[in-house]
Amino acid sequence: MSTERPIWEANTDVTAHPHLAVELTLDNCIKCNICVTACPVTAVTDLFPGPKYEAPQAGRFRNEKQESPDYSVDYCSGCRACNMACPTGVRIAEINARARANMVEDGGIKGLTRLRNNAIARTELVGKLGQPVAPLANWALNIKPARWIADKVFGIAPEAPFPPFTSQKFSNWLKKRENPLIAERKVVYFHGCSTEYYEPRVGKAVVNVLERNGFEVLIPPQNCCGLPLLSNGEFSSAQQLYESNIEKLVPYVKQGYVIVGTSTSCTLTLIEEAPEMLEYSSDDAALIQANTYDFNDFIMQLFYAGELDLNDLKDVPLTLVYHMPCQYKAHRIGRPGTELLELIPALNVVESESVCCGMAGTYGYKSEKYQIAMDVGKSLFELVGNVDGPVVICESETCRWHITKATDTPSVHPVELLAAAYGFPVEGKLAELGF
Amino acid sequence: MNDVLIMGAGLAGLTAAWQAALRGKKVQIAAKGWGTTHWHAGCVDVLGYHPVDASTAVDNPRTALTQLIADQPQHPYALAGLDQIEEALTALQTLCAEAGYPLHGSLDKNWQLPTAVGSMRPTCLAPSTMIAGDLTQKESPMLLIGFEDYRDFYPSLAADNLRQLGIDATGAKIRLATIEDANFMTPIKLAQLMDSDPNLRLQLARAIQAKLGDAKRVGLPAILGVRHSIAIHKELEERLGVPVFEIPSLPPSVPGIRLHHILFTAIQQAGGRVYDGMEGIGSHKEGNVITAVLTEAAGRTRTQRAHTYVLATGGILGGGIVTKPDSTAREVVFDLPLEVPGKQHEWFRREFLNKDGHPIYDVGVQVNEAFQPVQGENGTAVALYQNLYAIGNTLAHSEAIRQRAYEGVALVTGYKVGKEC
Repeated sequence: MSTERPIWEANTDVTAHPHLAVELTLDNCIKCNICVTACPVTAVTDLFPGPKYEAPQAGRFRNEKQESPDYSVDYCSGCRACNMACPTGVRIAEINARARANMVEDGGIKGLTRLRNNAIARTELVGKLGQPVAPLANWALNIKPARWIADKVFGIAPEAPFPPFTSQKFSNWLKKRENPLIAERKVVYFHGCSTEYYEPRVGKAVVNVLERNGFEVLIPPQNCCGLPLLSNGEFSSAQQLYESNIEKLVPYVKQGYVIVGTSTSCTLTLIEEAPEMLEYSSDDAALIQANTYDFNDFIMQLFYAGELDLNDLKDVPLTLVYHMPCQYKAHRIGRPGTELLELIPALNVVESESVCCGMAGTYGYKSEKYQIAMDVGKSLFELVGNVDGPVVICESETCRWHITKATDTPSVHPVELLAAAYGFPVEGKLAELGF
Repeated sequence: MNDVLIMGAGLAGLTAAWQAALRGKKVQIAAKGWGTTHWHAGCVDVLGYHPVDASTAVDNPRTALTQLIADQPQHPYALAGLDQIEEALTALQTLCAEAGYPLHGSLDKNWQLPTAVGSMRPTCLAPSTMIAGDLTQKESPMLLIGFEDYRDFYPSLAADNLRQLGIDATGAKIRLATIEDANFMTPIKLAQLMDSDPNLRLQLARAIQAKLGDAKRVGLPAILGVRHSIAIHKELEERLGVPVFEIPSLPPSVPGIRLHHILFTAIQQAGGRVYDGMEGIGSHKEGNVITAVLTEAAGRTRTQRAHTYVLATGGILGGGIVTKPDSTAREVVFDLPLEVPGKQHEWFRREFLNKDGHPIYDVGVQVNEAFQPVQGENGTAVALYQNLYAIGNTLAHSEAIRQRAYEGVALVTGYKVGKEC
C-alpha cells in the first residue's frame, strides 16, 4: 500500500489520459428502466420521456451529420440522478448534454432562445455588468414590467430568483483585508461567480475557517467554470472558459497546492464534467482534475487525519433542513456535507431525501421549464416548510436561491454554520440570529 | 471509520446493512447503481424447482429445502441451514408488516402466481396485493385487465396462456384518459399517479366494473401505487366487490421498489447509509486482511476503510463478476478466486433457453459456513481474508434463477452475515 499524502499536498504525478467518448457507454444499457424510475423530471412532466429513451435509445439515431431525431433531450436538467441509479454504468446525463450541444450546433436551438440561454449562462458577464451598479441592477431585475418583458421576449421565467448583487465583491473584500495569514500550508480557493458577485459571505467564511486551521488561503485570478454554458450546449464558449481556468490555476498545483471550492457544480466541472464532455485531455487538465476538491470533503479529510481544529466550538442550537444538491451527489464521495454538519455542536440536521431541488443550474430560469423546476422541488419545499427552521442548508448557489424563493427561507452553505461555530462573524440571517 | 462497508445495494446488500445497523454497527453501502430489487417481482422466491429440471413446481418449500440441503451441501441454503432461512423470512415479514405492507406465506406452502405472460410462478412470500392471483385457488372465471396505449402488459396473451394451464381466464383492455393523453406511460409513473390522484383510482374502478361480467377475481399489472398500495388495493376490491391481484410486469418493478423503500428506510432509521453511483473497483490487502476498498469517484479513486467488508455485488447479471474474451472471469472488487467452466466456447449451450442453463452462470465466489470467501470447495475451509464476507448471487453453487430462489438466496445470506459479521 502506498504511503498516503496529506490532503493539502497536490498529487503532481499525473499525466494526460484520454477520454473515451461517453456515447460508447450506451452499449452498456440493458433497458432495465431504473433510470426512468430515478429521473425527477420525467416524474413531473410528459415533455421528457425519461433518461433511457434519450441517451441509450434516441442516442443511437443521433449523429453529428444528422438532424436530431427529436428535441425532448433539451428537457434533461442534467441532474445526474440517472447516472447514479444506473447499475450498468451508462453516462446518461453526459450523453444528453452532448446531444444538446449537437442540437445547438445544428441550429436546433436558435434565435431568441439561444440568446436567452447565452445570457443566463454567462454568469460572470452578468456579474461584471450588474455588480458595479448593484442598487440599480437589483431594482431593475425585480420590477414586474422588466420581468414581464424578459419573460415574453426572451423566455426568462418571471418568478425565477435573481439574487441581489453584492455591494462589495469578494475579491475587493480580500484586497482590503488586513493581516491575512501567511503560512507554510497553503490552499487555493476557487470561489466561483456566486461568491464573487452575489454571496461573498460564503467566501469570507471559507477564508476564516481555513485560516483557523492553519492554512494560508491563495485566491488567484479565476473565471467562470463554464458549467452554465456546458448545460446549454454552448461547448466552444465553455471550452474557452475551461482552458482559461486551467492556465490560471495550474501553476499553483505545480507548486504543490490543492484547490478547494464551495460551489459543488463548479468543482465537479473542473474535476470531471468539462474534460469529459469536451473530450479535453492535457497534462495540465489532469493536474486540475486530480487536485480539485469539494470544500466539505477537504475539511472532512482534515478531520479524519486528526488535523481539524475542533476546540472551543460554540453551540449552534438550530434544527435545519439540509439538501444535498444533485450535482454534489454526482461527485460520488458520499455525504461530506452531512458529516461536516455533524461536527457542529447542538445543530440538529434534517436531511432532505429529494433527488434534486429542480433548479439544476440555469434550467429553472427558463420560462418553459420553471414550473417543472417547482414541481421537482415540491417534496423538498414541503420538508422545509414542515421543519420551519430559520435557514435551510445547501451547497449549490442556484439551488439555494431557488429554495429560498420557493419557501421564503434564507439559505446558507455548511461552511457558514461551521464559521459560526468557530465564533467568526457571519452575515445575513445567521447574524440576525445572533451568531 | 465505518464498522461495516457493504458493496452492493441489491436485496442481499440491503438486508445485510439493515441487520448490521440494527446491531448498532456503523454501516455504509457503496453501490454502483440501484440493485435487483428494481428488477424482480417484489416477492420472495425461496425455492420453486428442485431439482431444477423437475416437471412440477415445489409446493412445500420446507420439504424441498430439506432435500436440497441434503443433495447440494455447497449450496448457500445448505451453508445457512433451514433455521436461518426461516428466521430471515420471518424478520422480513415482520419488517414489512410494521411498514404496513404485509408479505404473506410461509415455508409450508408456495404460492403459484400468474406471470405477465400467463405462466405459473412459484413463490414463497407475496404481498397482499398479489395473493388473490394464486392459481391453486379455484375462483373463476378470472378477468385480466390491461390498458389501451400501455406497452407493458397484454391481458389477452396472459389469459390465452392461462387457459392452456386449465385456468378459466379472459383478458380485456380498458381505456384510461390519463394513459391515452400521455406521451409516455411507464409502470412507475402510473403507480405514482395512482398514489396521488384519487380520481384516477375511481376511473380505474369504473372502467373495470364495465368489463366485470361474472368474473370472480380481477388481475391487473402491478401499478397500484408505490407508497399507498395496500390502501389502493383495498379500495379497488371494495369498489369491484371481487378480489383483485397485481401481476408484476417488466422492470422497473413497482412491487420491487416498494420492498426497496421499506429496506432503505429501515437502514436509515437504524443509522446506516446507502450511497449509489459509487462503484467498487478494487481493494487493498495486507496478508489475510482487507484494509481498504477503492471506489470510483469524479476524477479520482477514493479509498474507503472499514473493519469488516461484505461483498454483495451480484454475479454476472449484477456486474459483480465480469468475463473476458481470454476465457477468464474476475470478481471486480476483491479479485477473489473463481473457477471458470472451460474456454469461452464452452460457456454457453446452443439454445438460449436450454433447460440445463449455461455453464458460465455457475461461476461464483466459494465461501465457508460463515460466508467467508475461501479457496476451493470446502464448507469448513479457512477464510482467505478474516474481515471479508460474500453474500447473495455472487456466490457459487446456487442456480438461483433456474431454481427460482433468487430473492431467497439474497435474503438469507444477507440476513445471516448482517447478523453475524
